[in-house]
Amino acid sequence: MKTFKYILTAVFLGATLLAQSQVLPEIELGAKAVVSGNINMDDAGAASAVADFSDSQILLGFRQKLYSNWRGQMVFGMQFPDADSDLGQVFFNHVFVQVENQKNIFKLGRSTTQTIINEFPTLRDDDALYFTYALNPFSVGANTQDNQYGNVLEYTHIFDQRYWFTIHAENYADLSNPTSFKLNGLGGSFLYIVPETQVWNRNILQRAGFSYNSYLTDRPGYTGYAQALKEMLGALTFNVHPDPVNFVDLRIQGIYNIGFSEIDSLNTYEEYVRSPSVYFYSSVRYLRRKLERPKFQTSAGFGYRSFSQVDASNQWIGIFNMFYRLGENFDFGFQYRYQHNKGQSGLLFGNAAHRFQLTLVYTIDHVFNSQFDDRNSLLNLEHGYMK
Amino acid sequence: MNRKEFLQFGTMGMTGMALFPANLFAEETKKANLDKFPSRLPYTKNGDWKEFHLSVNITQQELAPAMKIHTLTFNQTMPGPEIRVKEGDKVRVFFKNNTELNHTIHWHGIYVPWRMDGVPYVTQMPVMPGKEFVYEFTAEPYGTHFYHCHWGTLLHMQSGMFGSLIVEKDDDPIKKAFPYDREYTLVYSAHDVNFLRNELNGMLERMKERMYMMQTGRFDPEWFNLFDSMEELQKAIANGYQPPYLVNRRAPADLPEPNWFTVNGKSYPSTPYLYIKTGETIRVRLINAGTENHHLHLHGHDFWMVCDDGVPLPQPWQRNTLSLSPGKTYDIIIEGTNRGIWTFHDHDTRRVTNNGLYPGGNLMALVYEDLPEEERVIQPMKKMKMGNMNKGKGRDMLPKIALDE
Repeated sequence: MKTFKYILTAVFLGATLLAQSQVLPEIELGAKAVVSGNINMDDAGAASAVADFSDSQILLGFRQKLYSNWRGQMVFGMQFPDADSDLGQVFFNHVFVQVENQKNIFKLGRSTTQTIINEFPTLRDDDALYFTYALNPFSVGANTQDNQYGNVLEYTHIFDQRYWFTIHAENYADLSNPTSFKLNGLGGSFLYIVPETQVWNRNILQRAGFSYNSYLTDRPGYTGYAQALKEMLGALTFNVHPDPVNFVDLRIQGIYNIGFSEIDSLNTYEEYVRSPSVYFYSSVRYLRRKLERPKFQTSAGFGYRSFSQVDASNQWIGIFNMFYRLGENFDFGFQYRYQHNKGQSGLLFGNAAHRFQLTLVYTIDHVFNSQFDDRNSLLNLEHGYMK
Repeated sequence: MNRKEFLQFGTMGMTGMALFPANLFAEETKKANLDKFPSRLPYTKNGDWKEFHLSVNITQQELAPAMKIHTLTFNQTMPGPEIRVKEGDKVRVFFKNNTELNHTIHWHGIYVPWRMDGVPYVTQMPVMPGKEFVYEFTAEPYGTHFYHCHWGTLLHMQSGMFGSLIVEKDDDPIKKAFPYDREYTLVYSAHDVNFLRNELNGMLERMKERMYMMQTGRFDPEWFNLFDSMEELQKAIANGYQPPYLVNRRAPADLPEPNWFTVNGKSYPSTPYLYIKTGETIRVRLINAGTENHHLHLHGHDFWMVCDDGVPLPQPWQRNTLSLSPGKTYDIIIEGTNRGIWTFHDHDTRRVTNNGLYPGGNLMALVYEDLPEEERVIQPMKKMKMGNMNKGKGRDMLPKIALDE
């Protein structure tokens, strides 16, 4: 069998070289540098200042049409994680292959997990992590990437351009068993999403949906699926003022962590993520556009988390930010975050923390060697999908 | 036959014979071929006026088998239907915009009143989405002309917004000099399909926003990039406005590089055939509605170039190649004097490619309908002494459509 494999590889290799006809794919380059000066203050008045470039990343994607007119894609992405994340200097947050057509997407590899079903206007994706993500119960909380990325196996079917039905399985990072790559997460979601090219002129509803996630833990005293930690997510985004110049939207996401009823304290991070809880995050955003481009954005968000099995413990967070576009792709911004942790959550995270950030953000996303259209282009959406 | 001779013979066979389908002479092929020429736009008479109706839609066009693109088309055909009138006719064209983009119609080569010339912000406001504009003019001068959109011209013409406009007269000087039996119209274009797709998407996005702003009474010169005067533009720049052509608003993009070349909206092997019979004379109206020069060459014949931009030439030119530059029309006369199947193609062979692959593009053929049966048979491969090349292939002739040489 090994010999056969070798011959097969050699035959394909030879054919490609002989024909000199390898199709040069579309090449997508995405990059984001987020550099901020942070001032952190706790409730005792102790302050610290850090230069923070976490969440900066580079993405490189390659995409081409297959013989069947499906599209095949691979993506490599690397991210600079927090300095104390135990992930090293660079974290490969995307290494996946995807095959898709108009209505179906198969995805396999390291990528974002279905632990969030809405998007919020914060400086970094993890700024309100404990309120916006269904948290990975296998994580020890040393970093945020454990909750955002995993090794995923996903299938999505898209109905009528806007209804996304996804079933997925994951291998979440499990620091207690870091060499295990078995699937330890299962779930599904159903989302209504207005394509980005049509968002600004759609009244009222921009996004709605729900998701069910389960994590195959080793819950003591239980067997089979009863061992699993289960979470349910729901999301809504409203176009409060859909307008190309002054755009306002309201976003909300709620998560119900069914959790393990036997956990009634928050002494460790493991108890924190496995304790039954209900939490949500909501934001209102104002976007000012000029000359058909974003010019200024400000938003305010609020999140709350309560623990049904833990007495007098809850958390809340408030985030306010504003960003000003200095040029194409280049933004200057300010963000203030306050998080309050009451009861046992305060013992885990500290009672309160202020964070002030001044930031410069540079973001690019460009496709070289363009060959075909995106599913959500206006031509494909409104004038017939071109295979 | 030595190796060199073999290669020469083989090459001749493939390029000379193998490009056109075997059923060229079938009645159904001839009938289907008629659809590859612009259809006549019907009119109604209203007093002295001949009234035509044109509309524009976003449609899909198959350039070649399995190759489709989104296009902007007059009356959902590419090219648009042919308007054919008599010199001196009063012409009224009702133009309805069924897209979310702006458009106009420019009557290329026609002596229209200047308000009917179809140049946005010069002779008229653009015809906005859902709106209608009525063009009125007297059909003059005589000759082969065309019409096309003059809004976002680079994009809209490549996208398919063009059509032939023929002004006839009873005592046609060409007909007198060269009594011809039939005539054909060929409209050439060139398309950078990636440019088309990306720009059309971008323009649709922008126009959705702009129309919404117009409807809500918020016209903004800087947003729309429209100024009443140079002074107003200079003042806006002094106040921080950045024109959209600067690199701080737009990457220094390359100009479109066409990679598909069409005749009457089709690329080889879907291009039309020019049928002729021995002893017949045909008139071919050539229109370049694209952005590229086309050096058109007819095999096995000379032809007479008889009109330039519709104007009859005092002395017709005998030649076998002409250069059809953008915006140009020529009329040529071909006399059926050399029976066969003759290639008629752009001798800038970059334009006889599909996505860079020869053969393709505007490759087409002059086909003698009266070619005897025995001459229609392309050399059987066994007679070409090509050894075992065709063994087991289930055929004794070369295939007739080559997609890759």
